[in-house]
Amino acid sequence: MPSVCFYFQVHQPYRLRRYGVFDVGRRHDYFDTKLDEAVLRKVADKCYRPMNALVERLVDETDGRFRAAYSITGSALEQMERWAPDLIESFQRLVATGAIELLAETHSHSLAFLASRDEFDEQVELHASKIEQLFGVRTRVFRNTELIFSNAVARRVHDLGFAGVLAEGADRMLGWRSPHFLYTAKGTPDLPVLLKSYQLSDDVAFRFGNRGWAGWPLTPEKYAGWLHAVNGGGETVNLFMDYETFGEHQWAETGIFEFMRRLPKAVLAHGDMEFATPSEVIARYQPRAELDVNEFVSWADTERDLTAWLGNAMQSSALESLYALRDDVLASRDAQALEDFRRLTTSDHFYYMCTKYFADGDVHKYFSPYESPYEAHIAFMNALSDLASRVGRSGFRAAA
Amino acid sequence: MRVLMLGWELPPRFAGGVGVVAEAMLRALAQRGHELTYLMPLPLGAPAPRGVRLLDTASPRVGAEGIASRLVSYAGAAPPIRIPGEVTPPAGVPLYGHDLLAEVERFACEAVDRVAEANVPFDVIHAHDWTTFRAGLALRERTGKPLVAHVHITEFDKSGGHYADPAVFALEREGIAGADRVVAVSRRIANTCRDRYGADPARTRVVYNGVDPDTSAPAPPPLPRPLVLFLGRITLQKGPEYFLEAARRVLEVQPDAHFVMAGTGDMLPRMIERAAELGIAQRVSFPGFVDRERAAALYAAADVFVMPSVSEPFGIVPLEAMDRGVPVIVSRQSGVSELITNALKCDPWEVERMAELVAAALRYPVLARALSENGRAEVANFGWPSTVLRIEAIYRELGVP
Repeated sequence: MPSVCFYFQVHQPYRLRRYGVFDVGRRHDYFDTKLDEAVLRKVADKCYRPMNALVERLVDETDGRFRAAYSITGSALEQMERWAPDLIESFQRLVATGAIELLAETHSHSLAFLASRDEFDEQVELHASKIEQLFGVRTRVFRNTELIFSNAVARRVHDLGFAGVLAEGADRMLGWRSPHFLYTAKGTPDLPVLLKSYQLSDDVAFRFGNRGWAGWPLTPEKYAGWLHAVNGGGETVNLFMDYETFGEHQWAETGIFEFMRRLPKAVLAHGDMEFATPSEVIARYQPRAELDVNEFVSWADTERDLTAWLGNAMQSSALESLYALRDDVLASRDAQALEDFRRLTTSDHFYYMCTKYFADGDVHKYFSPYESPYEAHIAFMNALSDLASRVGRSGFRAAA
Repeated sequence: MRVLMLGWELPPRFAGGVGVVAEAMLRALAQRGHELTYLMPLPLGAPAPRGVRLLDTASPRVGAEGIASRLVSYAGAAPPIRIPGEVTPPAGVPLYGHDLLAEVERFACEAVDRVAEANVPFDVIHAHDWTTFRAGLALRERTGKPLVAHVHITEFDKSGGHYADPAVFALEREGIAGADRVVAVSRRIANTCRDRYGADPARTRVVYNGVDPDTSAPAPPPLPRPLVLFLGRITLQKGPEYFLEAARRVLEVQPDAHFVMAGTGDMLPRMIERAAELGIAQRVSFPGFVDRERAAALYAAADVFVMPSVSEPFGIVPLEAMDRGVPVIVSRQSGVSELITNALKCDPWEVERMAELVAAALRYPVLARALSENGRAEVANFGWPSTVLRIEAIYRELGVP
């Protein structure tokens, strides 16, 4: 009886404004608060509010048999507290149903694991505290930013006391094996790893509204049939996706809400399928094999590696220059400087500097507030120059 | 395909630079094995590009001397100038002498006879800019062959969009209306053709100019670094005063920067004065006109290239700079800015922004390197051999066998 395990990612970054060289040393407001507010309000209307209401209704209608997990970043929570506090209440109601699990991650949706283990640990704890403060629960299962994963991530997550971890079901990691079982990573035999079933996840997240796709139109019954086909060949189908899939990436006009409204019934109608949260999947099944993941995998692009954030010299210079400031920021005991530093750790800033497919005007461009990756780099480096001077680091030089 | 191309000039003699583009196009088309004839009003002593038949309509009635001198007369008091890659004449300065219109008319009349007499085989007529449109239309009427009107610049671009010589405007409009296809060197020009000349968008095609890689490797001149380069005619159209204003701002955060304004033009004296007024005279050099070799040397020394043009139908110089691996900041008021992605862009009057971008390119070496490498790779796709494939496609649309 396979489990269907939904996890929705909720994230909003603090976007940099076009912070210029002439602003350095003169003003320290790096972030485009107006843009953040506008985006949050728009996404709240198009996605968060209608989808939360729908999920609440689905849990209710199925007497809690529809279950799912959310990972909500610290920056997204802060923005909701500020501009859409009703959403915090809405998520609190969802958590209170007992059918919704909240996952752990880095507070700032950062790449800290790749740059500073100390910063990583602190951000994980920051996020856990924030969740506990708002929702009264302790997170048990961890998802790293953009599902970046390796043996080393598993080791750290295990040492921090988590009961499980999420990862991309990347082909080059799995080989012939199926993502529809629990695994472990080499070195951490008692930390179950849930792998994203990327085919079935992307059918909803990317292909749902695509009229050129052979699977279109995707009805709840058809999709439930695909999920059911895993029966016998797997124990859990992990459907991991951005929450913005609903109403933002796939517009309401595609019928995505209607699809979700009818999906639980279609799944449960099979009689031998059920919904489960990551913690429940871990409790229910045993890991079937060990994976040896020496190179990082992620859920980004077709490469499913780190190149979306660290694929060019601008990105690595920015990351290196940022984390080189960490000790000075901490030593300064300047709370605002630390807050700004943390906002700059958000992975989105590095994603905006990605030059892969830049000329094609693809998905990277869609998400970026900048005209080009070069402008993203400029604003980021200017802000860093200013932050460096604020914490007493003179003669800031960008890492080459 | 058998193509009859009409032009007013061919290197090494030229006025606006359309001849440079036409020659590059001819060479690339010839390499594709097409049968090409290039017809001009005068034999300008130009060597025929390989595989191209050169024809002219010169007759005893037309003094070669006279017309040849008119072709360079626009430069006024300044010596005839040639900035590598430049394809546009200056704004506000009459391009030719008075009786140019009569010359255009005569070319139109004689072109028909000359083509018949020389027994030129062709299936399509391709005319470059307004001076040849009349001839193109006459040939089209006589032979029934389709006409391609190639627009490199319009009267409105020359005057900054405010004024067009009515006679020239009429000839441009006639050519654009009567051609079977209008080829514009940018969307910017295509829009002008549509909005000002009533060109039918369904018959208009954009074909960006190509740039062929220059493989010479000159040693950079002993100039102070970091170096910010302007290379173009120093005329209103090119926005030189914005460059100087931006330079002043850049020097506030990058006091060791040096600026070179290469080129000449009617605003050169004023700009020298302006640099002094801004208190940055010792940081700005004015080497005057530079030939292709010296331009290449300047590219080798430059850390950033800026093209702050107010109005630029295409603008090939940034592509040459990118080909040389120089990070480029380009005006949005240019056709070339539509084409390139690996460059920084701003409007020319956004002086503060321009200064921001220059300063960033100087401060962040990783950024400069990314622009350099990605820019060079991008330009490698813009060679004439691939550009003329688009021209061929247009001929095919017209049923040219």
